[in-house]
Amino acid sequence: MALQLTINGISVGAIYALIAVGFAVVFNIMRFSNFAHGGMISACAFISFFFQRAIEPTPPLYVTIIFTALCGVIIAQIINTFGFHRIRKNNSPKLYYFLMSLTFAILIEQILTVFFGTNMYGFPSIFEHETFAVGPVIFKTMNMIILGVSIFMLVALILLIEKTKVGLAIRAVAIDSQTSRLMGINSNIIITTIFVIAGVLAGVAGVFLGVQYGVYPSLGPSMMLKGFIASIIGGLGSLRGAIFAAIGLGLIEIFFTYLLGATETTVIMFGILLGFLFIRPQGIAGKFTEDKI
Amino acid sequence: MKKFLLICLLVVFVLPLAACGGNEEVSETTGDETVVEEVEEEEVEDQETEEEEVSAEPILIGSIQDLSGPAAEAGTANAWGVEYAVQYINDNGGINGRMLEVITFDCKNDLNEGINVYRKLVDEYEVAAIIGPPLSNPASGWVEISEEDEMPIVGHFMDEMCTTDPDTGEVYPYMFLAEPSCSTQSDIMAKFALEDLGLTSFATLYNTGNAFAVAHAKPFMDYVTANGGEIVAEETFTWADTDYSAQALKIVEQNPEAVFLSDYTNQASLAYDFLRDAGFEGVILGANTLSLPFPTLVKNDIYDVYFLQNYDMMNPEAGGYELFQTYMAEEGSEYPKGNVAFGWDAVHVLVAAMLQASDPTDGAELRDLLEQTDGVELAEGTITLDPATHRPSNMGMYIAEYDENDNISILTYIEP
Repeated sequence: MALQLTINGISVGAIYALIAVGFAVVFNIMRFSNFAHGGMISACAFISFFFQRAIEPTPPLYVTIIFTALCGVIIAQIINTFGFHRIRKNNSPKLYYFLMSLTFAILIEQILTVFFGTNMYGFPSIFEHETFAVGPVIFKTMNMIILGVSIFMLVALILLIEKTKVGLAIRAVAIDSQTSRLMGINSNIIITTIFVIAGVLAGVAGVFLGVQYGVYPSLGPSMMLKGFIASIIGGLGSLRGAIFAAIGLGLIEIFFTYLLGATETTVIMFGILLGFLFIRPQGIAGKFTEDKI
Repeated sequence: MKKFLLICLLVVFVLPLAACGGNEEVSETTGDETVVEEVEEEEVEDQETEEEEVSAEPILIGSIQDLSGPAAEAGTANAWGVEYAVQYINDNGGINGRMLEVITFDCKNDLNEGINVYRKLVDEYEVAAIIGPPLSNPASGWVEISEEDEMPIVGHFMDEMCTTDPDTGEVYPYMFLAEPSCSTQSDIMAKFALEDLGLTSFATLYNTGNAFAVAHAKPFMDYVTANGGEIVAEETFTWADTDYSAQALKIVEQNPEAVFLSDYTNQASLAYDFLRDAGFEGVILGANTLSLPFPTLVKNDIYDVYFLQNYDMMNPEAGGYELFQTYMAEEGSEYPKGNVAFGWDAVHVLVAAMLQASDPTDGAELRDLLEQTDGVELAEGTITLDPATHRPSNMGMYIAEYDENDNISILTYIEP
């Protein structure tokens, strides 16, 4: 049973990791928690759902993922251009970014509600067998795909940031944007790149969450809470920290729900968050950013 | 330049007003006797017309529904049913010649919002009565204020706490339920599982944050244990949860013959998939939220699923069939919704009382008449209210299942 719970916990954690990294990647550069990410996830979930329904014959999952990721990039750029770019241009206080992201999160959710209601839309079954067994352990096919794709994407993202010139520029802007600009780095391009990454992550998370839990306007925002907790515990802005914290959170959630129950687990998770804020506010990764909102 | 603009504005806006006022003054200040007599006659005629208009004034009723929030799908269908019923009543002569007019507000399945819109309807619109939502959360906030305002409320708030005081058992005088209560419904399902299916061991999986879910799950467990069955696992989740795999695993470990799922359709469909994914192959029992669109939301095959139904919605022979078909045609719905008939039924219960009242806007009189509701025709069947509980004493529920094509098939009707 412990093995089964561990598999389930890691699978849940992989989804949280996609959300948490979407948070962390924007925070890394912009120094604010982008709550619009939840709205982007919901919008992407709807796009993927209707994309699958509109195309005959139903396209394979990877096509839906690629298409939705592209749409996620477009949505992210719209939010960046019409929301954050102006604030940045005016050199407005960080609080404005937070308010803008919250506004976009609510706006997207409400637009989706106006057009589609609060009903849930269910993806049709994608696989011939929803589960498969290896010995006594049951694996959910979708969970394994989510896990595989998440690991691939997160590793690719870490390699991009740590091993490429673009990544070097991103890190430079993250450390000191003004000095980076003096060194010839175009911070606008870097910020656009960051929103491209966040858009791809939102698109992929939207497809996976939609397939796994159904599609509804509050899907993204409802999952954001867990992603946000993971990004805080991981150390705001730290990608590795966010991934480890998200996996840990998934395991804690599954094990404690099994042992104590769902209501108690929610209390425990917030207790852990509070504990981190008291004892180690810089999170697992040890990185601490004073500007966080 | 500014002065010139100001003068122009004065000319444009003030002169026409002065001209209108001048006309009024002329008619009021006329000294001629004949004209005065004519004016007096006109006044008498006006008064008579006004009196006629007063008696022909529409009767305002309020409709508070969940038009947004997690129960919006049910709420909007409910609101449609209310408005369609009002239109039907008016087309058939209204309340002894007086038309009904319905004012609808959204309570968002929220207690405070429910109280806000209730106050608006009572204080600002001075409605004669209110049709309530199909959910208990907002309705629970009106149990006492409706008594203070003498405001009859008829609805489908199934939780018993909306019609009787949970501590004393005393009835809330102005709250009336127009369908079987949660515990009646759960008792019917438990009775079916124990007697018709011959099951003995059960588990429950329900949302502790949802009054609807709790109010179904607890009576189900009570009935089972009181009648020789056993609850081997009681698992729960909250609104914040999206993954129920741990609960499903725990249930599978206990190996019950059946699991009673209790929550709205979205969560119930997720719970179903998690249970089947975890390897549970037994019977799934549920409330009427396992009805359509449940099959479109689940990914696993649907088998051995039994659930409650208020109406035989797919049966052309059944009384409510035409109503459901009209809704589907007018609203473009792909499937019938029981809530349409809820709205219809609640209006008809209220109208039956209004038709007997000497003053259909008198809350106290309506209350007394509602308490005597006996054999009132509904979309399907009739309703008789128990004066001691203000809940139906004669209404049972259908037990339904899905056939191999995921169509609803009614198995039986069980009396309370």
